[in-house]
Formats: sequence, C-alpha cells, structure tokens
Amino acid sequence: MRDSHRFIPSLQINIYPLGERALVLDPTPEATLSWAVQSKLCWIAEQLRQLPIVEEATPGMNNLTIVVRETRQLKAMQARLAELWQSAPTETLERRTIEIPVSYGGEAGPDLISVAQFHHLSPKEVIKRHSQASYQVFFIGFQPGFAYLEGLPKCLHTPRLATPRLTIPAGSVGIGGEQTGIYPLASPGGWQIIGQTQLALFDPTSDDSCLLKPGDRVRFTPVEIAL
Amino acid sequence: MIRLDRVNGLASIQDLGRPGQGHLGIPRGGAMDSFSLILANRLLGNVDNAPAIELACGSYEITFESSSWVALCGATFEARIESEIKGKEDDRPLWHGWRGRVNPGERLTIKGPRQGVWGYLAVLGGIEIPKVLGGHGTFLAGHFGGHQGRQLASGDILNLSSHTETNFSRPVGAVHRANDGILRALPGPEMSQFSDQDRKAFWHGHWTVSPQNDRMGVRLTGESLNSAKHLSLRSHAVLPGVVQVPPSGQPIVLQADAQTSGGYPRMAMVIEADHWKLAQARAGQAIRFQHVSPNQVEDANLEWQHYFYRLARAMDGS
Repeated sequence: MRDSHRFIPSLQINIYPLGERALVLDPTPEATLSWAVQSKLCWIAEQLRQLPIVEEATPGMNNLTIVVRETRQLKAMQARLAELWQSAPTETLERRTIEIPVSYGGEAGPDLISVAQFHHLSPKEVIKRHSQASYQVFFIGFQPGFAYLEGLPKCLHTPRLATPRLTIPAGSVGIGGEQTGIYPLASPGGWQIIGQTQLALFDPTSDDSCLLKPGDRVRFTPVEIAL
Repeated sequence: MIRLDRVNGLASIQDLGRPGQGHLGIPRGGAMDSFSLILANRLLGNVDNAPAIELACGSYEITFESSSWVALCGATFEARIESEIKGKEDDRPLWHGWRGRVNPGERLTIKGPRQGVWGYLAVLGGIEIPKVLGGHGTFLAGHFGGHQGRQLASGDILNLSSHTETNFSRPVGAVHRANDGILRALPGPEMSQFSDQDRKAFWHGHWTVSPQNDRMGVRLTGESLNSAKHLSLRSHAVLPGVVQVPPSGQPIVLQADAQTSGGYPRMAMVIEADHWKLAQARAGQAIRFQHVSPNQVEDANLEWQHYFYRLARAMDGS
C-alpha cells in the first residue's frame, strides 16, 4: 500500500469480546486504512492459527477476530493478543503480483457503459483507469476466495445497482461503491459488473483453494474489449 | 447403499461444518441444528461428525439395499418403514428421536414436519462421502462438499460407510428439548451505540421470524432499531449467532452458512447452546432475546452436556 502508511503512530489497541468464544482485536480507528496495521494483523493471525486453542483467526478491514475452542481460554488469549501486537512486524507478507486477465464490456461487463456515463467518461477511459491502478488484497472474506481490494481510483467510485441481480457469473469483475473485486462464485450481487475473468479465484479441490492472499498486489489486464 | 427414490424438498448432506477457514472466506457451514445431528448419530453409535441427510419440509422416499439402522431427529417428521416385497406386511413407524432397523429392500417414507424446520436422518456408520476442505457438508451457495456440491435429488444413490454389525438389543429414543423461542444472548460490540429505546426494543420486544430466512441467516421483524442507520463499520469477521442490524433496522441473525465477513453493527450474539432454537423456528414464530451473563452461558452449555450424558447412560449396554 501507500508507503506513507507504513509508520504506525503509537496506536492504542482495543480488544473486546464477541459472544462466548471470540475476541476482536481492533487497533483504535484511524481515519484511513493502514497497510502496516493490516500486515501486523495478518502476521498475528498466522501465529495464532498454529495454536491448538485457536479455532479461527480471521482478519477483517484493519481488525482481527479470533475464535478460541473454549470460553475459559479467552482470558489468556486477551493477554496473548496484547503481547503479539507489540511484537508483530509491519512488513512480513510476501508481495506477489497477480495479473487478472479481464474481458471488459459487452456480455462480460453489462454495466460498463452505465459506469462510464455516471462518470462522464468514455468506456475506454474507464477500462484504462481500472486496469492501470494497482490494488492490494486486504483480506479474504464474504465468499470463498473473495478478496477485499484496496486501491480503486476515486474517479471510479460508483454506487451499487438499485436492484441487485439474482445471479452474477463466477469471475465477474465489479465496482461497488469504493470497492472493486471479482466474484469467485456465481451468486446474487449488487455491484456494477464491468468485465469478467476466466481465472479461477477459488478451487475447492485444491488445498491452496484461494488464488489471492492478503498482501498480494493485483493488476487487471484487458485481454478483450467489447464496446 | 441407499437410493433416494423421491426427494420433494430441500435435502443435503451435512456434518458439523468446516470451522477454522473464515480467513479463506469459507463459512463454518454444517448442520443448522447441530445438537439434533449429534443426537441422531449418538443413537446409532456413530461419531458425532458422521455425515447425515438434513431434510427440510417436504416428502422423501428412500430404499435401503442392505440392512442398516437409522435415526431421525430434529424437526418432527412422520416416518414409516415399508417393505417393497409383495405380500410381506411389515409396515411400521420410525419414531421421531428413536433408532430403528431397516432390512434390505425396505423403503423409508418421510413427510412433514409437524414441528420445527430441519430434520436429520442418520444411518449406521454414516453416509460415505469424500471430505472437501476438511468437511463432508454441502455448501450449497459454493457448489462444493456433500453429494456433488448440490442438494439431493430423486434418483441419487448414496453409499454408506462400512461398519461392523451392531447388536443393538433394544430400541432407544430420546426426548428432544423444548423450543421456547427464547434466544439467550450476550450484548454485541456495537450494542452501546444504539439508543436506549433501541436497546429496550431489542431485549423486551417481540420478534417474528420472517419468511426471509435460509441457511445463511434469519431476518426478524419487529420494532425498527433506528440507530442502525447512522452506524457504519469497517468490514469485520462475522460468525453464526451474530445479530446484525442493517439500515432497515430489522435484525438478521446469522446461521450456519453465513458469509464470513460483514459491515453491519453487531447488536448481540446468540449463545451457541441456543442456535438450534432459531434454526428450528418457522416463519411467523415469535422470538425473544434474553440478556445473559458469561456464567449463564456456561450453565447453558452444561445443560447440553447433561442431556447427552443422560442419553449415554440410557444407552449403556443397549
């Protein structure tokens, strides 16, 4: 992410329970998202997943939820989290760059034209801006293999559809508000669909089921443009 | 081997889910009422996590190719075991919550339910199904797990895990716990950001299960919790049992197949001992939330332990 976010001012952290077996680690809200914070959280999650008492360690957008196997383990976990936060490095993740080949417009991207009209841009200009930007995976959630990407240029922020579609094909590339992303599975959805990729974002038959991982940089490469 | 001659309802293979993979976006999944699945498995001496058939309302006909034992728990379906062989009059009920023997060629017919939503048909040894990503259950929205990643259909054939012949000497059954519709809950992280009026409405109001409910979540209707309009959060992990309040002010309680992340305020968290109650509540049924302390959560978990302990005692030597 932006290098200016690399330094974490002495952040206060907040640890609170979520129900009987979960804790949330929430570095007290900063105005802007921080990759350094996320990087620390991903590192902590990795460490925690090795522990037998941890059932789940799931990062969100600059926060982390930990589920322990038994309620009585919450107290020890609380102390552990505070320690881990102190010792967690900020730059740990492998920074791969993943190219996502995209067919923009036409049947693959039924909303490309309306997105262009909304911004008073040509469809070509939308494609150019969407594919020239560099994105970073903050975390995987919502659906298997779905990546929360940071980095959609402001000039492409577009409201969601007034009426969500009942089904969107797997591989659809869309814009929803300030976010862009790829639907790994066929599903209902309210994002503006501008293109489609043939890459499998999620493969349940593989142990390494998700194509994208937190920290990855993502670039969309136009392979086909239908206007 | 069993043959599903007729499937006229939503049926899928389920076990106890795939916990621990939220960071890959994979929901916990598994049985909507895990206690009933465990009960059905224990009646047959199976492991708790043995894959079984989860049934929702409708009717089903299943033929057994070989002898086995079955147990049907959860929602109260009516079930009968009938012989397909002409002249052999051996039609008998399979009682809800009891185990029963089935002989080769016999057919199990199931219809209902009279009460509840989800039933669990467990078979001696469990259904043989490959594990996908650490679980046997079907994740319907993701098209993986279970039988070909989909709901069961007429004509499907399922294999049963091999097992050593049991010598169950007598029938054994269990009384299901009553569903009072009271969901015990702990306050959620954003509870304090709601107005006094909203908090009061949440804990003391009467909620109704709306028709909009599925394996992902149950939408409740009641007095609108208006503070939700002004609360927006960064996306965070969510779990089954989380009570989210979207801007509409009508709470959604997340269920087994819930997506792994969300951004709505977390009003409360239904305790795990009571997840089944909401799953088994039908559209139109009344629900109330009851504020409990962490100590009461422990008591609620103990109640379940005692229930299964009593079952084990009753089954001793059976």
